[in-house]
Amino acid sequence: MLFNSVDYLIFFPVVVALYFAIPSKWRWAFLLIASYYFYMCWKAEYVILILFTTLVDYFAALKMGQATSRKKKKPWLVLSILVNLGMLAGFKYFNFFTESINLLFREINILHPLPLFHIILPVGISFYIFQSLSYTIDVYRGIKQPEKHAGKFALYVCFFPQLVSGPIERPNHLLPQIHQPRSFDQQCLVSGLKLMLWGFFKKLVIADRLGMFVSYVYENPAENKGLPVILATVLFAFQLYCDFSGYTDIARGSARILGYDLMINFNRPLIAKSLRDFWNRWHMSLTTWFRDYVLYSLPYIKEKKIVFGKIYRNLIITFLLMGLWHGAAWTFVIFGLFHGVLLVLETITENQRNRFYELTRINDLPVLKNTLGMLTTFSILVFSLFFFRANSLSDSLLLLSNAVDFSNFRETIGYILKDNEVLFGMLMVVCLLVAEYLHERYDLIRYVSSRPLIIRWSVYIGFIFFVLVFGVLQKQKFIYFQF
Amino acid sequence: MSRKFAIRLILFLALLLVVNYALDRSFKAFSVHNTLNNMMDGQFAEYDDTLKYLALGNSHNCINTHILEKSFNYGSPSENFIQSYYKLKHILEKSGKKPGCVILQADISSFGPKISNRYEYNSYWISYIDYLELARIKDSRDILTKWMEGRFFSYVGNYKDIQLSILYRIKIRTLEMYHGYRPHRDYRNFAEETDKQKLARDKANLILSKESYLDPAIKVYFEKILQLCQSHGVRVIMVRMPMSKEFNEEEAKLVPADKLYTEVETIASRYPDFEGIFDYHLMFVDHPDYFFDPDHLNIKGSDLFTTQLAKDLKELESRGFPE
Repeated sequence: MLFNSVDYLIFFPVVVALYFAIPSKWRWAFLLIASYYFYMCWKAEYVILILFTTLVDYFAALKMGQATSRKKKKPWLVLSILVNLGMLAGFKYFNFFTESINLLFREINILHPLPLFHIILPVGISFYIFQSLSYTIDVYRGIKQPEKHAGKFALYVCFFPQLVSGPIERPNHLLPQIHQPRSFDQQCLVSGLKLMLWGFFKKLVIADRLGMFVSYVYENPAENKGLPVILATVLFAFQLYCDFSGYTDIARGSARILGYDLMINFNRPLIAKSLRDFWNRWHMSLTTWFRDYVLYSLPYIKEKKIVFGKIYRNLIITFLLMGLWHGAAWTFVIFGLFHGVLLVLETITENQRNRFYELTRINDLPVLKNTLGMLTTFSILVFSLFFFRANSLSDSLLLLSNAVDFSNFRETIGYILKDNEVLFGMLMVVCLLVAEYLHERYDLIRYVSSRPLIIRWSVYIGFIFFVLVFGVLQKQKFIYFQF
Repeated sequence: MSRKFAIRLILFLALLLVVNYALDRSFKAFSVHNTLNNMMDGQFAEYDDTLKYLALGNSHNCINTHILEKSFNYGSPSENFIQSYYKLKHILEKSGKKPGCVILQADISSFGPKISNRYEYNSYWISYIDYLELARIKDSRDILTKWMEGRFFSYVGNYKDIQLSILYRIKIRTLEMYHGYRPHRDYRNFAEETDKQKLARDKANLILSKESYLDPAIKVYFEKILQLCQSHGVRVIMVRMPMSKEFNEEEAKLVPADKLYTEVETIASRYPDFEGIFDYHLMFVDHPDYFFDPDHLNIKGSDLFTTQLAKDLKELESRGFPE
């Protein structure tokens, strides 16, 4: 079920009404049923995968809880990791690895290709598997006590607002909330609805509108050259941000109405001043997951000394895996690798860059320094998105070479200026950036909330109908659903 | 929930409903497409001559009713066979008018999934389409949201229509429409375009699909039209409209036309009242100046095409058609 569908507009109010109508002690069960129903609306049989993950991790954690030492816990952790990553490998990466092996076979004249499986990727598999894995790893590390209540643990794995595209929750954050009795809170209802409305604005008015132009360019890579290619990739950065953060806002808003607080996933990432800053602001629940469970797990000490070379290697490995998490394609591998290598370079050259800023006195002009940082980071991001968005590696290389071909500049600029959708989309991007800036500085929501009722309601109603009139209501899927 | 909050919530929801109602009503009254379609309905209701030819279809249908005598051009923007069926059903069963022959549009795009899934202007179509039946046939609940849109939320997502309605508000007052036909494509000429191929490619990709050329629902409704005409003793002619050279080339890259028309003829040949497909798609391949854009004739092109069509129909009439 998509958030941007009539189905959800019916499903969600019904769930909220029934949720608060039934006795408090059964609410978790109702939410569990609603979550499974939400998932089954897409493909009913794939709910078995969620159930399987839930069962394996529930029992593995219980067994780890009974074990007296880390050594005895380890087999259960290994079981959980193997089952979860095995499922992920089977459903998401099998064909990618098989195709890569077949390609290698062809190169060395082995003419017996391995068979491919034609299976549909289960929506949200990367998200709920990572969420479930974080639980077993935390239990193994002793950060979290095993959850005794199977039903409540099942709800932790499949809580519908964040089931298919995150935020990837942590057991210490979400599980205690599931245990706490929830009662209706009118403040939560109001702020949740505001958050949902903001999410719908980002998704329907901006992301889906920009998506039309971006898709047109990226689906016809051979036919587009110069400005349209660059503009489409720049706009894709905003599309991706608005699509995913819009989803997160709707998810967090929905959860808040039900009385749950989900993690913040984005913090204005497109104004990041460095790559490190970017990854601290972008898809935070995923980056912190990889930091805590992958990066920190990789060895970096030799003879009781920190080896920086190993830290850099670990960083590259982590980002490579993070790229691969996004999708089973070489384009994502390159995307991850590119960011990993550049992050290492950014870290290594930090002292030299600081010295350069001192010598050129850029340090005395913080606005200039910040602007330079933002532009550089954004440019690096846009470059990497050539790989992220393209349908294949050959497409991304073709688009990269086409991007610097300005032979038909005059015609293309004419086309773009005639495209009202692109112009309106860009105007909305500017509005978004201004609104986010104002919100950070002056807390816009609080400001509007403190106005007299007539002004407040006019703003809300005006904004609701603005989204309804100017939204692209074609039920476009959220980009991160494919991951 | 406190009493004060509950009252405010109800008030807020009521206000939303009031604003929605006002916007819905305004859009229905103000929309340029609704105005044009209603104007066409009005002209059809007033039509009191013998109705020899009733042309249905979308914007490709540019039959000039001044030239083709005793005809009515009931084609409307984005109309597909599904919508044509319900309109024709309404005409034959409720209007008291019976055409001698129905002219159906037989362009490649008329049969594809893209046009089948285009449900625009639902606030107009709601008075014709049986959305429940359509939802059953298409096996899609989304159709019911189209009903909701047409009934209560006509303005939702229709910013383009609003923009057009503002731009054409003054022009529409002086609009000339005769038996459904309006000569309006005079402000652009395809011959003057610098990159005709690109325009044609973009348009072909917009309305055609490489994956499928005969949509199952379109197939069902195409047959329903033929059945309906058969049961009312109305003859059927299909017309493939003239397209620019570039558009024909792009179409050929996407759709196997031979296969499509073999299937269409196989279906249609089961109905004795089907007269055949009149194919004009190559008629003006050397005349980009007769086109408004890659797939629409301009006024001059429409006139020349209709003259030829009228001549061909006259010849058919000389063989005793329509009865």
